Amino acid sequence: MNGVLRLVLVLTLITAGAGLILSLVESATREPIAEQRRLATLRALKAVLPPADNSPDEDTVQLLIGQDRRGRDLMRTFFRGRQEGELSGIAFKVVAPDGYSGNITVMVGVTPEGTVAGIEILTHNETPGLGDKIELPAFKEIFAGKNLENADWRVKKDGGEFDQITGATISPRAVVGAVRNGLEFFRDHRVEVLAEAKGEKP
Amino acid sequence: MTLNQDFRKGFWRENAVFRLLLGLCPALAVTTSAENGLGMGLATTFVLVCSNIVVSSLRKVIPAKVRIPSFIVIIASFVTVVQLCMEAYVYDLYKALGIFIPLIVVNCLILGRAEAFASKNRLLPAVADGMGMGLGFTLALFVLGAVRELFGSGTLLGYAVFGSSYQPLLLMILPPGAFIAMGLLLAGMNLLDARQR
Repeated sequence: MNGVLRLVLVLTLITAGAGLILSLVESATREPIAEQRRLATLRALKAVLPPADNSPDEDTVQLLIGQDRRGRDLMRTFFRGRQEGELSGIAFKVVAPDGYSGNITVMVGVTPEGTVAGIEILTHNETPGLGDKIELPAFKEIFAGKNLENADWRVKKDGGEFDQITGATISPRAVVGAVRNGLEFFRDHRVEVLAEAKGEKP
Repeated sequence: MTLNQDFRKGFWRENAVFRLLLGLCPALAVTTSAENGLGMGLATTFVLVCSNIVVSSLRKVIPAKVRIPSFIVIIASFVTVVQLCMEAYVYDLYKALGIFIPLIVVNCLILGRAEAFASKNRLLPAVADGMGMGLGFTLALFVLGAVRELFGSGTLLGYAVFGSSYQPLLLMILPPGAFIAMGLLLAGMNLLDARQR
């Protein structure tokens, strides 16, 4: 066989074989992976929402929150929890871009009136042992029961009422700021977030 | 060399991390806990054994001129298989290892074994070599992860060891701690070797 032709043929056969195997594995794992991602979201939703008996990830509203640097639309998804058909709470993700290293994404749960029910830190790259204490229950619990009226949304060092963590002020400050922005957005768009809920079945 | 020797050399005499100093990037980066080290090691072992099997069986078919691209395609396919399976069945570990799973493709240990051993040996020795080298790599990552977790968080595989009064030595789970632990373990191994001689 011609030398070059053999090279091409063997390499083509190997890549074709690899492609075949990968497509088989992909189709076998597609459903479990989707299920795992859904469970991870559901776990976070359960942690921040008031008790709900529906699947909040199937009852959502998407709203435009602005444009990114390239001018593409940024959407925020609002997950709605219901107890016996009544709206019990709304959860949404906020991103704190001003953490100590990289973005911190936070899931925030609020009551329909806009009071925080709970928060959950989804992803972060804060320093282990210092900034990562924002993951501790002691820090996350401070947020429950607070809303834009009854609390000063700053860390204590800045004159507010949120305990910063010893040795780390930047990470809590970023989280507090992001949650406050999220609450303000919810307050300004409360009608749209709740309104669509009426017409749909729970 | 016998099969047994092919298998056992990976644990000490030609240990990938502590002797050949191969695959150091994942070895240093993911070993913040014993569990992460173990998971990364086993994922790498799986890829290494599979790629050794395929490379060894195809060694007479693959022309020397295109052997490197062929090896990389084979390795990358198995890495993707591992990645999909881990995301589907061990989601938390998949999240913890993050970018380092796809980076198994460029772990020079795997390409090194394909090139230096599997492409020149028959199937059974290649399997033994892959198992030995992979498990040796796993062992090294596990030990490195255990040492860093023990001092950096005061736990071992998630269980508290030192009690609540222990003040964790944070440095050990930060990047510099990886180099320090690695250096001390290397020195320890060299000392043991020197004693035996």
